[in-house]
Amino acid sequence: MRSADMVATPNSLSTKAFGFVGDLFIGAYILSVLDRVVVPTLADYVAFPLSPAHAIAYIVFAILFASTSLLMGVSLSAAFVRKTLPDGISRKILTHIGYFLLSISIIAGWIITDVSPIEFFSGKGLAGAGRIFGALVTPEFDIIGQALATMVETIYTALMATLIAVPISFLLSFPAARNLMDGSRPKRLIYSSLRVVLNVSRSMEPIIWAIVFSVWVGIGPFAGMLALVVHTIASLTKQYSEQIEDVDSGPIEAISATGANSIQTIWFAIVPQCVIPFLSFTIYRWDINVRMATIIGFVGGGGIGTLLIQYQGLAKFHEVGTLIIVITFVVWILDVFSARIREALK
Amino acid sequence: MASLIEVKNLSHTYPNGFTALKNVSFSVEEGEFLVVIGLSGSGKSTLLRILNRLIEPTSGNVFFKGLDVTRIEGDELRTHRGQIGMIFQHFNLIGRHSVISNVLYGSLGRTGTLQSISGGFSKPDVQLAKESLLRVGIADKAENRADSLSGGQQQRVAIARALMQRPRMLLADEPVASLDPATSHSVMNYLEQINKEQGTTVICNLHFLSLVRKYATRVVALKAGELVFEGKPDAITEEWFKAIYGEDAIEVEIR
Ligand SMILES: Nc1ncnc2c1ncn2[C@@H]1O[C@H](COP(=O)(O)OP(=O)(O)O)[C@@H](O)[C@H]1O
Ligand SMILES: [Mg+2]
Repeated sequence: MRSADMVATPNSLSTKAFGFVGDLFIGAYILSVLDRVVVPTLADYVAFPLSPAHAIAYIVFAILFASTSLLMGVSLSAAFVRKTLPDGISRKILTHIGYFLLSISIIAGWIITDVSPIEFFSGKGLAGAGRIFGALVTPEFDIIGQALATMVETIYTALMATLIAVPISFLLSFPAARNLMDGSRPKRLIYSSLRVVLNVSRSMEPIIWAIVFSVWVGIGPFAGMLALVVHTIASLTKQYSEQIEDVDSGPIEAISATGANSIQTIWFAIVPQCVIPFLSFTIYRWDINVRMATIIGFVGGGGIGTLLIQYQGLAKFHEVGTLIIVITFVVWILDVFSARIREALK
Repeated sequence: MASLIEVKNLSHTYPNGFTALKNVSFSVEEGEFLVVIGLSGSGKSTLLRILNRLIEPTSGNVFFKGLDVTRIEGDELRTHRGQIGMIFQHFNLIGRHSVISNVLYGSLGRTGTLQSISGGFSKPDVQLAKESLLRVGIADKAENRADSLSGGQQQRVAIARALMQRPRMLLADEPVASLDPATSHSVMNYLEQINKEQGTTVICNLHFLSLVRKYATRVVALKAGELVFEGKPDAITEEWFKAIYGEDAIEVEIR
């Protein structure tokens, strides 16, 4: 028994509330997986939306589940965060519930993603795999010029996106750094709203932005670049501001103590502590942007990605092979190159 | 005549609710070398940072040259800070920048934002920076990166930066706590020199009583945020020592 290392935390209201809400979800999850996926097997599990009757059944079941556990004082979810076992529930029971949740998830996942070993290993399937791999390793080098030209387009799309995003991120990173914005209520408000905007735009994948911009400014490298700019600003601002939050506060105190104003304090006490990490993040971001620019090309962001998706659509796999070789090579070179520079900057 | 600095009923409570200073009052005359002693955590750093208003106290008042500086802000606050040089336990230099640049940053308070950012410090200021470095004996290191210097040298650069402000007063927050004994004396000697030759008032937090006896003209002691002693250094008897530092404390010499 490992009860010695279990810290008894008071059964606070917030733990109870968390436990209740968590168990609501677990209850709803168990019921929905059984009801929608496992029981009706393959036939009609995608029949969304739920009928009102179904929805009500879920809610009722979940509330019953969570209430029972709350009344018994054995909330499952709370047990996870508290790392302590409530009275009346043994570690074994908890483990069994864990295994149960895991197994129904695997079964549901298997059904939902159409896992089919038969297709994977069927003669027809294997022949297809052989054809495409064969094509890929016998690339069509007639299009090498076209491949390189579009690759250049992709690299420059990434470069421009990075260069445009850097000054904007630099300026935004100061109001996005908590240690600089702790002073007053309006400052905290600016900080919080900026954080929300950045987090939301960062959560939207660049490929989504590319779809948005390809409608906005038309298919092509410009759309791809705009998509990357948005994502790069969001990512770099986050990295930059975290670096600012990490700086040694000593020099800030010392520079403020000379009577310097806040811009001078930022410039002379904070920026010198950040330039090297900022450079390093920026180079890495450009590296990432080249990969992303390729993917963005698939949805109309221009460059080698757009070319690749066109050949793939025409089932010209020898040409696709050429493009994959070029992409792999360039990405590899850039990776080595940027790692070297970042190493040297340390 | 008004004292250079006058502290009245000063209390400070940090946002987390911890009260670091409780109703502290004292004053400092022009030209004094006042040493603040007390256990670590007794509120010495907090007190110093309230004097140059890096921190705004929760209650009480600070008068500098007869002017109430307790709640000033903006330009007034920067002017106030500019008149007071400060040096720190960890030197707080900009390590990647040159020694001479670090010294020049002492003139930021009187240099325009754009002018300073473009590196255009005025000729007299560049001259003063060189003189200040000469003063602390490291003029030959002017172009070296600040972080390439030893601890004692870095603290001397910090003193030069403070001199650059042409300060009325110097605050020193445990300036020798990260230095070895020999270097400690050299740094303390520079502070003493500035105090004696220029008449610059010094307020210095110190740990070692032997240093206190050697350099202080007057001592105040803090204990858990309260002022428990005020007097000449030789008035710190065995009893006072135990009262300030606790029954079990043993005096350690630094030579
Ligand atoms: N920013 C802060 N927030 C909360 N408490 C603080 C802060 N700074 C200092 N303190 C606390 O205030 C007390 C006095 O600190 P300080 O003035 O640094 O003492 P000293 O310099 O004498 O060691 C300490 O207990 C310290 O933990
Ligand atoms: Mg201190």
